[in-house]
Amino acid sequence: MSRIFITGMGLISAIGDSVEENRDSLQHSRSGIGHIQFYQTAYAGRLPAAEVKYSTVELNKKLFGKPNPSITRTSLLALHAVEEAIRDSGLTKEEVSSTDTALVGATTVGGMCLTDELFNDANAKSGGTPYLSSYDYASVTMAIQEHFGISGEVGTINTACSSSANSIIYGARLISHGFARRVIVGGAESLAKFTINGFNALNILSSKPCAPFDRDRSGLNLGEGAAFLVLEREEDLKGKKAYAVLSGFGNKNDAYHPSSNSPNGLGPFLSMKEALESSGLNAGEISYINAHGTGTENNDETESRAMIRLFEKVPPFSSTKSFTGHTLGAAGAVEAVYSILSLVHQELYPSLSFQFPIPETGLIPVRNFFKQPMQHIMSNSFGFGGNCSTLIFSKT
Amino acid sequence: METAELKRQLKEQIIHFLNLTTVKPEDIKDDEPLFGEGLGLDSIDSIELIVLLSREYGINIQDPKEGRKILKDINTMVDYIEKNRTK
Amino acid sequence: MAYFHLPVCISPQNSFPDVNLSQIRESRNNLLEVIEPPYPGLPAAARRRMGKSVRMAVGAALPILEKFPQPDGIVIATANGGMEDCIKFLNQILEYNEGLLTPANFVQSTSNAGAAQIALVSKNHNYNITHVHRGLAFENALMDIIMLLKENKDAGYLLGSTDEISAYNYNIDRIAGCFRKEPVLNTWLFQSKAKGTMAGEGAFMVLMNNQLQGASAELNAVKTMHSTDPHQVLRTLEKFVSENFIHGEWPDLLMTGENGDERLLPYFDIVESFMNESIPVARFKHFCGEYCTASSFACWLSMQIFESGEVPVLMIKNGRNEKPIRRILIYNNYREAQHAFILISKVKIQNSKFKSKK
Repeated sequence: MSRIFITGMGLISAIGDSVEENRDSLQHSRSGIGHIQFYQTAYAGRLPAAEVKYSTVELNKKLFGKPNPSITRTSLLALHAVEEAIRDSGLTKEEVSSTDTALVGATTVGGMCLTDELFNDANAKSGGTPYLSSYDYASVTMAIQEHFGISGEVGTINTACSSSANSIIYGARLISHGFARRVIVGGAESLAKFTINGFNALNILSSKPCAPFDRDRSGLNLGEGAAFLVLEREEDLKGKKAYAVLSGFGNKNDAYHPSSNSPNGLGPFLSMKEALESSGLNAGEISYINAHGTGTENNDETESRAMIRLFEKVPPFSSTKSFTGHTLGAAGAVEAVYSILSLVHQELYPSLSFQFPIPETGLIPVRNFFKQPMQHIMSNSFGFGGNCSTLIFSKT
Repeated sequence: METAELKRQLKEQIIHFLNLTTVKPEDIKDDEPLFGEGLGLDSIDSIELIVLLSREYGINIQDPKEGRKILKDINTMVDYIEKNRTK
Repeated sequence: MAYFHLPVCISPQNSFPDVNLSQIRESRNNLLEVIEPPYPGLPAAARRRMGKSVRMAVGAALPILEKFPQPDGIVIATANGGMEDCIKFLNQILEYNEGLLTPANFVQSTSNAGAAQIALVSKNHNYNITHVHRGLAFENALMDIIMLLKENKDAGYLLGSTDEISAYNYNIDRIAGCFRKEPVLNTWLFQSKAKGTMAGEGAFMVLMNNQLQGASAELNAVKTMHSTDPHQVLRTLEKFVSENFIHGEWPDLLMTGENGDERLLPYFDIVESFMNESIPVARFKHFCGEYCTASSFACWLSMQIFESGEVPVLMIKNGRNEKPIRRILIYNNYREAQHAFILISKVKIQNSKFKSKK
């Protein structure tokens, strides 16, 4: 089977509205976590989050030049990132709308960021808002399909926080098996009362900026953003620039509890192990891990245990969620882009807010930005429902 | 309200709140652990019970760890409710 | 290619545990709701955390897991799975003004709850995924299975779908104009010309592997597309047929997702007109109703047809039960823009000429 290459990337997050802007923030330790400015919630001012620094009206204007009432914020973020990815990849209009170009999206919120409208429509309180067809997860991918005229296979995946890692895996396999020649893959997420209140009800939101892998970590911060990548076969590159190879991946289930990992991190361990096996690499060849690292008590300890179990010597690792917050359905793709940036530019991004290691595991993440030669990078995404996914990217 | 009546009421509320459709109030022993063994509740249930105490009895438990001590069994819960209820 | 084994279908009709498609159960209040079995193998501790769509999915999976306890992966399709819990949580948010809320609805509302619960009750650590692409979620799951079985030739995967009529989802779709405004019976769905269809629900579970022996059917091909141009749909169909049939050959039956909504008739007309006029046409949505993963019911139905040797009379639109049905072409359309073609065939009978694929 042909090797799968990443030829284009697009990204908008709390730390920038392009791949380059995001990289600049990562290099300069500029976090996007702060007070909620744009979203209306009782938690604004009480719980920090990592918002994309544009109002929905501004996002609409940026993309369409005018308000577009039935497109949700999540879809706008997705469209923005897809546009950059397509431009970056150099795909022609014909290629984008060709029947052999597939699209796989991911989101856990979809259009449910519109709490009041959803409440009204779901409870039949009025004659219907313009968003009736925009609440479900597929609506985001369909907005992309329609806007760019995608005519190949289209899919949407929702496996909670590992969603867009799985859309990358599924998309790559569509190419490997001949269902597509190239694929646009990724995910998008925006703030929603639904997730703010959901995670808060589970007591896993922190009232401070998150501190992944820190002894005193007190939970995660929600983030929003969208990231999309263009994947192509090696034989189709024809001298085009390629950022990295998707050299391995894993998808396993922890099967312990609906919303937390098993104490020894079995799911994460199995997912990383499978990714290694599929890449043909030894654990010692992994130069860096972009960890899932949400900052919750459960994830960071169990992910640490899993890393210790798998690696004789745990490689350098960090959690970029300390910059972007937890972008849920978009996290896998956002962090895939960061992993690829690390690889291309041979640099490591720190885990912000870290002070003391978790006593039970003693692991210390990367704390400062620095340059280092690297060959293979692993990226983890672990979600509710035990859904654990891991990606490995290698230098071209 | 008498303690015995409160115990029965609480059991009914727990069954309803946690959707324990196959359990009857008389199945829940007063001193049987609610978590782990006994009723076999888990971490999501402990959060749900804290919400129950707030909504039904006006009791706010801030620290989930303190909550687990209070939620040990029906006796400890009723004891705490009687001392701290504001509803 | 990929073989279906041990199919289980929970639907508004008599499909589980016994199958009887000679009669049609009628809709009530313009809804085709499932008849839920008692699910004897479902532990109470797990059941209390399950909304209807998750319960149906796990309930349908249990009989298969009894015979095949550790599938090499769990692939589930659902578009609105968990929607009921979603809106319940939303109602809580608004009722209590984002105050102290109970998390159970939130945890249960995630789309992957079905796949997760199946993994939990069976302690399955293998591949686990949930496809949610609205009317093509099940087709994406089928493609995933085709790929998985090429990647792992000796594996067996649990494939399934689930979608429920939740009050809230129903409201949203109703206001959007999806359903018939006037009262209508499912048995009269096609005879009455009007906009809108009838809501349905159901779950389907099956074991997929590369073993021909004992299989209920073979999955030959899947193709999906998005378009609001019937001619584009026709072009895709032409290509699908030319890729899967020798010139001059046709499927033995066309099964369509015609759902009583007159706005969709141009698509079904163009597909039916293309097919050779000798091919009988059957419909299924008056049996199961309209929902995102209804094409799974069509696949299940195909397996019943292969086993019994004939198409249930109440499903026939054109033609008769004359020739043996070996290959069925399913065409489904969801809310106009999403289209799918599935080719499913009867398994060749074992005889001395063929070697078992063990």
